[in-house]
Amino acid sequence: MEINKIIESGLMETYVMGIATEEEVKQVLSLKKEYPAFKEALEQLEYDMEVLAQSMSIEPPADTLSKIEHEINEIQRRNQAIQPTFEPGYRHEKSEQESKHEKYIQVESESNQMRVNKAWKWVFIAVFVLGKVFLASAIYFYLENRQAQEQIKELKMEIKQKIR
Amino acid sequence: MFKAVSTHPSAEPKDIRWFYDQYAPMLLGYINGILQDHQKSEDHLVVILTSFIKDVVILQEKSKLNIWLELRQYAQSKLTLFTAKDHQLKPNPSLNKGRLDLLDDLQKRIFCAIYYHGKSISYLAATIGCDESEIRNQLKLSIDKMRRKSGN
Repeated sequence: MEINKIIESGLMETYVMGIATEEEVKQVLSLKKEYPAFKEALEQLEYDMEVLAQSMSIEPPADTLSKIEHEINEIQRRNQAIQPTFEPGYRHEKSEQESKHEKYIQVESESNQMRVNKAWKWVFIAVFVLGKVFLASAIYFYLENRQAQEQIKELKMEIKQKIR
Repeated sequence: MFKAVSTHPSAEPKDIRWFYDQYAPMLLGYINGILQDHQKSEDHLVVILTSFIKDVVILQEKSKLNIWLELRQYAQSKLTLFTAKDHQLKPNPSLNKGRLDLLDDLQKRIFCAIYYHGKSISYLAATIGCDESEIRNQLKLSIDKMRRKSGN
Protein backbone atom coordinates (compact mmCIF):
# COMPACT_ATOMS: atom_id res chain seq x y z
CA MET A 1 0.00 0.00 0.00
CA GLU A 2 1.28 3.46 -0.91
CA ILE A 3 0.85 4.97 2.56
CA ASN A 4 3.02 2.24 4.10
CA LYS A 5 5.74 3.10 1.61
CA ILE A 6 5.54 6.76 2.64
CA ILE A 7 5.66 5.79 6.31
CA GLU A 8 8.78 3.75 5.63
CA SER A 9 10.38 6.43 3.44
CA GLY A 10 11.98 8.33 6.34
CA LEU A 11 9.83 11.41 5.79
CA MET A 12 8.35 11.23 9.30
CA GLU A 13 11.81 10.91 10.84
CA THR A 14 13.04 13.99 8.99
CA TYR A 15 9.97 15.86 10.22
CA VAL A 16 10.26 14.96 13.89
CA MET A 17 13.97 15.72 13.84
CA GLY A 18 13.08 19.26 12.74
CA ILE A 19 15.08 19.24 9.51
CA ALA A 20 12.25 18.78 7.01
CA THR A 21 12.02 21.27 4.18
CA GLU A 22 8.90 23.44 3.85
CA GLU A 23 7.55 21.15 1.15
CA GLU A 24 8.11 18.10 3.32
CA VAL A 25 6.37 19.75 6.25
CA LYS A 26 3.36 20.54 4.03
CA GLN A 27 3.35 16.98 2.77
CA VAL A 28 3.47 15.57 6.30
CA LEU A 29 0.63 17.78 7.47
CA SER A 30 -1.61 16.90 4.54
CA LEU A 31 -0.84 13.17 4.89
CA LYS A 32 -1.62 13.44 8.57
CA LYS A 33 -5.04 14.85 7.70
CA GLU A 34 -5.78 12.38 4.94
CA TYR A 35 -4.50 9.09 6.33
CA PRO A 36 -5.31 7.97 9.88
CA ALA A 37 -2.60 5.30 9.58
CA PHE A 38 0.00 7.98 8.85
CA LYS A 39 -1.27 10.12 11.72
CA GLU A 40 -1.07 7.19 14.10
CA ALA A 41 2.46 6.29 12.95
CA LEU A 42 3.60 9.91 13.30
CA GLU A 43 2.16 10.25 16.80
CA GLN A 44 3.83 6.99 17.80
CA LEU A 45 7.15 8.26 16.46
CA GLU A 46 6.76 11.55 18.35
CA TYR A 47 6.06 9.60 21.51
CA ASP A 48 9.06 7.36 20.93
CA MET A 49 11.30 10.40 20.45
CA GLU A 50 10.13 11.58 23.85
CA VAL A 51 10.92 8.18 25.35
CA LEU A 52 14.35 8.36 23.70
CA ALA A 53 14.97 11.78 25.24
CA GLN A 54 13.91 10.40 28.62
CA SER A 55 16.54 7.70 28.31
CA MET A 56 19.17 10.41 27.86
CA SER A 57 17.82 12.74 30.54
CA ILE A 58 19.86 14.22 33.40
CA GLU A 59 18.27 15.15 36.71
CA PRO A 60 18.70 18.91 37.28
CA PRO A 61 20.02 20.20 40.65
CA ALA A 62 17.38 20.60 43.36
CA ASP A 63 17.25 24.42 43.27
CA THR A 64 16.61 24.70 39.50
CA LEU A 65 12.82 24.83 39.80
CA SER A 66 12.94 27.62 42.37
CA LYS A 67 15.31 29.57 40.07
CA ILE A 68 12.84 29.23 37.18
CA GLU A 69 9.88 30.23 39.37
CA HIS A 70 11.85 33.21 40.64
CA GLU A 71 12.72 34.27 37.08
CA ILE A 72 9.08 33.96 35.98
CA ASN A 73 7.86 35.95 38.98
CA GLU A 74 10.44 38.65 38.27
CA ILE A 75 9.33 38.91 34.64
CA GLN A 76 5.68 39.09 35.70
CA ARG A 77 6.45 41.78 38.24
CA ARG A 78 8.27 43.80 35.59
CA ASN A 79 5.43 43.26 33.11
CA GLN A 80 2.80 44.33 35.63
CA ALA A 81 4.81 47.46 36.36
CA ILE A 82 4.76 48.61 32.75
CA GLN A 83 1.34 47.11 31.86
CA PRO A 84 2.26 45.65 28.49
CA THR A 85 -0.41 45.57 25.81
CA PHE A 86 1.06 42.87 23.61
CA GLU A 87 -1.38 40.36 22.21
CA PRO A 88 -0.17 37.03 20.87
CA GLY A 89 -1.75 37.76 17.50
CA TYR A 90 0.34 40.88 17.13
CA ARG A 91 3.67 39.31 17.82
CA HIS A 92 4.86 40.06 14.31
CA GLU A 93 4.59 43.75 15.15
CA LYS A 94 6.86 43.29 18.13
CA SER A 95 9.82 45.22 16.73
CA GLU A 96 7.57 48.13 15.82
CA GLN A 97 6.04 48.07 19.28
CA GLU A 98 9.48 47.92 20.86
CA SER A 99 10.61 51.01 18.95
CA LYS A 100 7.46 52.84 20.12
CA HIS A 101 8.23 51.83 23.68
CA GLU A 102 11.66 53.36 23.35
CA LYS A 103 10.13 56.70 22.27
CA TYR A 104 7.19 56.92 24.65
CA ILE A 105 6.55 56.30 28.29
CA GLN A 106 3.44 54.23 28.99
CA VAL A 107 0.89 55.78 31.31
CA GLU A 108 -2.38 54.39 32.58
CA SER A 109 -5.47 56.32 31.56
CA GLU A 110 -9.18 55.77 31.03
CA SER A 111 -10.94 56.75 27.82
CA ASN A 112 -14.00 59.03 28.19
CA GLN A 113 -15.42 57.75 24.89
CA MET A 114 -17.77 54.81 24.57
CA ARG A 115 -18.50 52.58 21.60
CA VAL A 116 -22.15 52.01 20.67
CA ASN A 117 -23.58 49.61 18.13
CA LYS A 118 -24.85 51.33 14.96
CA ALA A 119 -28.29 49.70 15.36
CA TRP A 120 -28.93 52.00 18.31
CA LYS A 121 -29.09 54.95 15.87
CA TRP A 122 -32.69 54.02 14.85
CA VAL A 123 -33.73 53.57 18.46
CA PHE A 124 -32.42 57.04 19.27
CA ILE A 125 -34.27 58.53 16.24
CA ALA A 126 -37.53 56.79 17.28
CA VAL A 127 -37.17 58.04 20.85
CA PHE A 128 -36.53 61.58 19.55
CA VAL A 129 -39.60 61.55 17.23
CA LEU A 130 -41.86 60.07 19.92
CA GLY A 131 -40.61 62.69 22.34
CA LYS A 132 -41.63 65.45 19.91
CA VAL A 133 -45.08 63.86 19.38
CA PHE A 134 -45.69 63.65 23.14
CA LEU A 135 -44.56 67.25 23.61
CA ALA A 136 -46.92 68.49 20.86
CA SER A 137 -49.79 66.45 22.33
CA ALA A 138 -49.12 67.78 25.81
CA ILE A 139 -49.16 71.40 24.56
CA TYR A 140 -52.34 70.75 22.54
CA PHE A 141 -54.21 69.19 25.46
CA TYR A 142 -52.95 71.91 27.83
CA LEU A 143 -54.37 74.62 25.55
CA GLU A 144 -57.61 72.66 25.10
CA ASN A 145 -57.93 72.26 28.83
CA ARG A 146 -57.29 75.98 29.47
CA GLN A 147 -59.91 76.93 26.88
CA ALA A 148 -62.43 74.54 28.45
CA GLN A 149 -61.73 76.01 31.91
CA GLU A 150 -62.37 79.53 30.59
CA GLN A 151 -65.62 78.42 28.97
CA ILE A 152 -66.74 76.82 32.24
CA LYS A 153 -65.96 80.06 34.09
CA GLU A 154 -67.96 82.08 31.56
CA LEU A 155 -70.90 79.68 31.79
CA LYS A 156 -70.85 79.88 35.58
CA MET A 157 -70.88 83.69 35.37
CA GLU A 158 -73.84 83.58 32.97
CA ILE A 159 -75.78 81.20 35.21
CA LYS A 160 -75.13 83.42 38.26
CA GLN A 161 -76.32 86.51 36.40
CA LYS A 162 -79.51 84.70 35.27
CA ILE A 163 -80.27 83.57 38.81
CA ARG A 164 -80.04 87.15 40.11
CA MET B 1 -1.82 23.05 30.55
CA PHE B 2 0.18 25.38 28.35
CA LYS B 3 -2.61 27.78 28.03
CA ALA B 4 -2.94 27.80 31.77
CA VAL B 5 0.75 28.51 32.22
CA SER B 6 1.06 31.05 29.49
CA THR B 7 -2.07 33.09 29.52
CA HIS B 8 -2.81 33.08 33.19
CA PRO B 9 -1.48 36.34 34.62
CA SER B 10 0.17 34.64 37.54
CA ALA B 11 1.41 31.44 35.94
CA GLU B 12 0.18 28.57 38.06
CA PRO B 13 3.11 27.24 40.10
CA LYS B 14 1.43 23.83 40.00
CA ASP B 15 1.54 23.81 36.17
CA ILE B 16 5.12 25.04 36.08
CA ARG B 17 6.06 22.26 38.45
CA TRP B 18 4.29 19.72 36.26
CA PHE B 19 6.02 21.05 33.17
CA TYR B 20 9.36 21.10 34.95
CA ASP B 21 9.03 17.56 36.27
CA GLN B 22 8.05 16.33 32.83
CA TYR B 23 10.59 18.07 30.65
CA ALA B 24 13.47 19.59 32.65
CA PRO B 25 15.52 16.36 32.93
CA MET B 26 15.02 15.62 29.23
CA LEU B 27 15.94 19.15 28.28
CA LEU B 28 19.02 19.18 30.50
CA GLY B 29 20.16 15.93 28.88
CA TYR B 30 19.60 17.48 25.49
CA ILE B 31 21.36 20.77 26.28
CA ASN B 32 24.26 18.90 27.78
CA GLY B 33 24.50 16.94 24.55
CA ILE B 34 24.99 20.22 22.70
CA LEU B 35 27.14 22.18 25.15
CA GLN B 36 29.04 19.27 26.63
CA ASP B 37 29.45 21.24 29.84
CA HIS B 38 27.32 20.39 32.84
CA GLN B 39 27.47 23.77 34.61
CA LYS B 40 26.74 25.76 31.45
CA SER B 41 23.93 23.35 30.60
CA GLU B 42 22.25 23.97 33.95
CA ASP B 43 22.46 27.73 33.44
CA HIS B 44 20.99 27.47 29.96
CA LEU B 45 18.26 25.14 31.24
CA VAL B 46 16.95 27.88 33.54
CA VAL B 47 17.05 30.52 30.80
CA ILE B 48 15.48 28.33 28.10
CA LEU B 49 12.73 26.86 30.28
CA THR B 50 11.82 30.29 31.63
CA SER B 51 11.55 31.90 28.22
CA PHE B 52 9.74 28.88 26.78
CA ILE B 53 7.12 28.98 29.53
CA LYS B 54 6.74 32.75 29.17
CA ASP B 55 6.78 33.16 25.39
CA VAL B 56 6.57 30.10 23.24
CA VAL B 57 3.75 28.29 24.95
CA ILE B 58 1.38 31.05 23.82
CA LEU B 59 1.77 29.73 20.31
CA GLN B 60 1.20 26.17 21.35
CA GLU B 61 -2.30 25.97 19.91
CA LYS B 62 -0.97 26.82 16.48
CA SER B 63 1.93 24.45 16.79
CA LYS B 64 1.86 21.29 14.74
CA LEU B 65 4.47 19.54 16.89
CA ASN B 66 4.07 17.91 20.26
CA ILE B 67 5.40 19.68 23.33
CA TRP B 68 8.74 17.91 23.61
CA LEU B 69 9.61 18.33 19.94
CA GLU B 70 8.61 21.98 20.15
CA LEU B 71 10.73 22.47 23.26
CA ARG B 72 13.70 20.66 21.71
CA GLN B 73 13.58 22.81 18.59
CA TYR B 74 13.20 25.91 20.72
CA ALA B 75 16.26 24.98 22.76
CA GLN B 76 18.19 24.31 19.57
CA SER B 77 17.26 27.74 18.22
CA LYS B 78 18.38 29.36 21.49
CA LEU B 79 21.71 27.62 21.31
CA THR B 80 22.59 28.54 17.74
CA LEU B 81 25.88 30.01 18.96
CA PHE B 82 26.89 26.49 19.88
CA THR B 83 25.11 24.59 17.11
CA ALA B 84 25.89 26.87 14.17
CA LYS B 85 29.64 26.61 14.24
CA ASP B 86 31.26 23.66 12.50
CA HIS B 87 31.55 20.92 14.99
CA GLN B 88 33.48 17.75 14.55
CA LEU B 89 30.33 15.67 13.98
CA LYS B 90 31.40 13.25 16.65
CA PRO B 91 29.25 12.51 19.66
CA ASN B 92 30.70 13.65 22.95
CA PRO B 93 32.18 10.74 24.88
CA SER B 94 30.99 12.26 28.18
CA LEU B 95 27.42 12.33 26.85
CA ASN B 96 24.71 10.41 28.64
CA LYS B 97 24.42 8.08 25.69
CA GLY B 98 21.30 6.15 26.55
CA ARG B 99 20.41 4.21 23.44
CA LEU B 100 23.08 5.83 21.28
CA ASP B 101 25.32 2.89 22.05
CA LEU B 102 23.08 0.78 19.83
CA LEU B 103 24.19 2.73 16.76
CA ASP B 104 27.25 2.18 14.64
CA ASP B 105 29.73 5.03 14.19
CA LEU B 106 28.20 6.47 11.02
CA GLN B 107 24.66 6.32 12.40
CA LYS B 108 25.77 7.90 15.68
CA ARG B 109 27.52 10.66 13.76
CA ILE B 110 24.49 11.38 11.60
CA PHE B 111 21.97 11.14 14.42
CA CYS B 112 23.94 13.41 16.78
CA ALA B 113 24.63 15.99 14.07
CA ILE B 114 20.91 16.24 13.31
CA TYR B 115 19.48 15.74 16.79
CA TYR B 116 21.81 18.02 18.72
CA HIS B 117 23.11 20.41 16.08
CA GLY B 118 20.20 20.57 13.63
CA LYS B 119 22.44 19.91 10.63
CA SER B 120 20.59 19.47 7.36
CA ILE B 121 20.57 16.36 5.21
CA SER B 122 22.40 18.21 2.40
CA TYR B 123 25.08 19.51 4.78
CA LEU B 124 25.71 16.02 6.11
CA ALA B 125 25.75 14.52 2.64
CA ALA B 126 28.41 17.02 1.61
CA THR B 127 30.43 16.65 4.80
CA ILE B 128 30.38 12.89 5.02
CA GLY B 129 30.61 12.39 1.27
CA CYS B 130 27.58 10.31 0.44
CA ASP B 131 24.24 11.07 -1.17
CA GLU B 132 21.24 12.51 0.63
CA SER B 133 19.13 9.37 0.34
CA GLU B 134 21.82 7.45 2.19
CA ILE B 135 21.79 10.02 5.00
CA ARG B 136 17.99 9.79 5.21
CA ASN B 137 18.20 6.03 5.23
CA GLN B 138 20.84 5.96 7.98
CA LEU B 139 18.82 8.42 10.06
CA LYS B 140 15.73 6.25 9.80
CA LEU B 141 17.71 3.11 10.60
CA SER B 142 19.24 4.70 13.67
CA ILE B 143 15.87 5.90 14.98
CA ASP B 144 14.32 2.48 14.26
CA LYS B 145 17.11 0.76 16.18
CA MET B 146 16.58 2.90 19.23
CA ARG B 147 12.80 2.56 19.02
CA ARG B 148 13.05 -1.22 18.85
CA LYS B 149 14.99 -1.14 22.11
CA SER B 150 11.93 0.31 23.81
CA GLY B 151 9.70 -2.34 22.23
CA ASN B 152 8.21 -0.33 19.32
